[in-house]
Amino acid sequence: MSFSRAQFERAFNPRVVAVIGDKQMNGFLWLRALQQFSGKLYSVQIDPNEIPLIEAMGVTNVRSLLDIPEAVDYAVVAVPRSVASRVLADCVRKQVGAVTLFTAGFSETDDPEGIRLEQEIASAARDAHLLLVGPNCMGIANPRLGLCNFPHQPVGVAAAGHVGFIGQSGTHTITFCMRAPVEGVGISKAVSFGNGVVADAADYLDYFRDDVETTVIAAYVEGVRDGRRFFEALRRTAALKPVILWKGGVTEAGQRAIFSHTAALATPAVVWRGMVRQAGAVGVDSQDALLDVARTLLAGRTATGLRAGLIAMTGGPSVVMTDAFSQAGLDVPLLSEASYAKLREFFQVVGGSLRNPLDAGSTIAMGLRSDNLARLLDILDRDEMIDVIGLDLGAALAIDRYVEHPELAGTMTDALVSFAQRSSKPFAVVADAPHRPIDAARLRDDLRTRGVLTFVSPHRAAHAVRQAVEYWRVRAGVE
Amino acid sequence: MTTRALNEIEAKAWLVEAGIPVTRAELARTPAEAAAIAERLACPVALKIVSADIVHKSALDGVRLNLTTAAAAAAAFEAIMQAVRARQAQARVDGVSVQPMAPPGAVEVIVGVSCDAQFGQVIMCGLGGVFVEVLQDVAFRLIPLQPRDARQMLTELRGLPLLRGVRGRPAVDLHAVEDLLLRVSDLVVQRPQIRELDLNPVLAYPDRVVAVDARALIEVT
Repeated sequence: MSFSRAQFERAFNPRVVAVIGDKQMNGFLWLRALQQFSGKLYSVQIDPNEIPLIEAMGVTNVRSLLDIPEAVDYAVVAVPRSVASRVLADCVRKQVGAVTLFTAGFSETDDPEGIRLEQEIASAARDAHLLLVGPNCMGIANPRLGLCNFPHQPVGVAAAGHVGFIGQSGTHTITFCMRAPVEGVGISKAVSFGNGVVADAADYLDYFRDDVETTVIAAYVEGVRDGRRFFEALRRTAALKPVILWKGGVTEAGQRAIFSHTAALATPAVVWRGMVRQAGAVGVDSQDALLDVARTLLAGRTATGLRAGLIAMTGGPSVVMTDAFSQAGLDVPLLSEASYAKLREFFQVVGGSLRNPLDAGSTIAMGLRSDNLARLLDILDRDEMIDVIGLDLGAALAIDRYVEHPELAGTMTDALVSFAQRSSKPFAVVADAPHRPIDAARLRDDLRTRGVLTFVSPHRAAHAVRQAVEYWRVRAGVE
Repeated sequence: MTTRALNEIEAKAWLVEAGIPVTRAELARTPAEAAAIAERLACPVALKIVSADIVHKSALDGVRLNLTTAAAAAAAFEAIMQAVRARQAQARVDGVSVQPMAPPGAVEVIVGVSCDAQFGQVIMCGLGGVFVEVLQDVAFRLIPLQPRDARQMLTELRGLPLLRGVRGRPAVDLHAVEDLLLRVSDLVVQRPQIRELDLNPVLAYPDRVVAVDARALIEVT
């Protein structure tokens, strides 16, 4: 069923939120999740044992939703399923903008009573034209407003950004909201829609397509109620902004697991894959890949060429990096003659190689000669044979020296940051040192926060770059 | 929902209507009819059992290939009927189809239409034989297809090098394969009652393609 954009706007940007039925047994999950909400929060609870605990949290409690003296934009319903219908009726009377039904035990079970109750709730919501999120879900998050669907989710400027997340799983939605900001991916809005009986993935895609805060859409989907409707929404959305789809249940065993989770029908993985490509969206198979591709697309490079220019510090990594980029479907061609002419002016061939990849450890003196690193990168940037640039920093060999001599690391990161600013080609930096994971993470964070796209492995870098390029190729009609 | 199977001759009539090249098959009900058709075609012919109840014709020994005389065609008719009766006595048999043998030198392609529980009618394309059965090297798209989708379906196949020509063999006419996919998609749009459609095999040559066998399952109201 279709809802107006205004209904979605109100649901995702609420000023007044009510939580109905949160309690100690539930660890006050919802009231704790909404502790940082910037608007007004009410609790609705009649149990005299619970009310003092709720009030001790500083939350205003009322005994009925209808007692709230102002309009309620968004309500979370956490009551047992047997009374869910009655509470929803209150929400309709109160003209609540949207309702998340956290309550589970509906069509995701085999229980006929659960299926019957879900139908009852769905038809009541449809009749009232109520935007019902769920049931069996974690609902809406908007970090900018401190609207969270789990306690301790990052909020505010540090967590807000431009990726919209749509999740059929509550856990995947929450963990994405927790993790993405840590990796430099801010979230515009997120929704976990569970059984999606009234509004489902297609509706949220359409809303995020029109949402100006959202520039990249990431989604976790197990199955869809109306495949054609989903496909059409996906296609019209992907034509405007990138959509990255993580599909759960791609194996037969996984599909059995889906059935008891969201009861979605099984579509063979190969059909799903074809559908995603036909719609112009990007398909991935893990949360890692979802974030990798989102980060790469957020960098805003719209290159459509497949030719990679690669730099590594030593022989083995330059071979493996070349394999990784080739396996991902990128070409690693020879550079132009002009590039080789420039390289010969200063490239240390002893202990290196200046084909492609550039095995450049000697030339860059393992990071000591940041000026030479910048020269190499500029040559790749100006080379018309090259569309994307990959650099493996060889951090495992360099990290000890970087830690001992922070000024060396500083000069090197400055060079990379400045290159990322002046180049318009997709630029991926691989930096990992498994024996000093914390220092390596710090190095990546330093680069990332200053606008350099970083990865822990050449394979993840290559796949993310390839997928991002593929999105723009489809957009541009390149084959 | 009630369904009905279309036999090779009925299914091919629909394909021809949609502009899809097929080897024209004629129905013979007697050995004499088989001989007469073979005589008229004046080229090596193939005979296949025609029955809505039989999907795997070869498995029931219901196919005879490369028959060069009218007498051989008549004998093959008898042999096919006998073999099928021995193996599946209750099958409703319409007769035997007689058609020209397709020349050698083709790459076998399989094209199919089926209904997905979530997405409805989808089209599949793959290379024949082990590529489909063992390696599951197939590409799917939702119907209707755009030209780009048809092109991508072929480039997604791991067996694509076979279509592009290996070991000195020439490339097949990839545009003709794409065109066939688009025409099958159009056919399904025109006839939405199609639940399943198999073009197996489609023979792809350097200059053309031709569907040499076909069957369909349609919804009847």
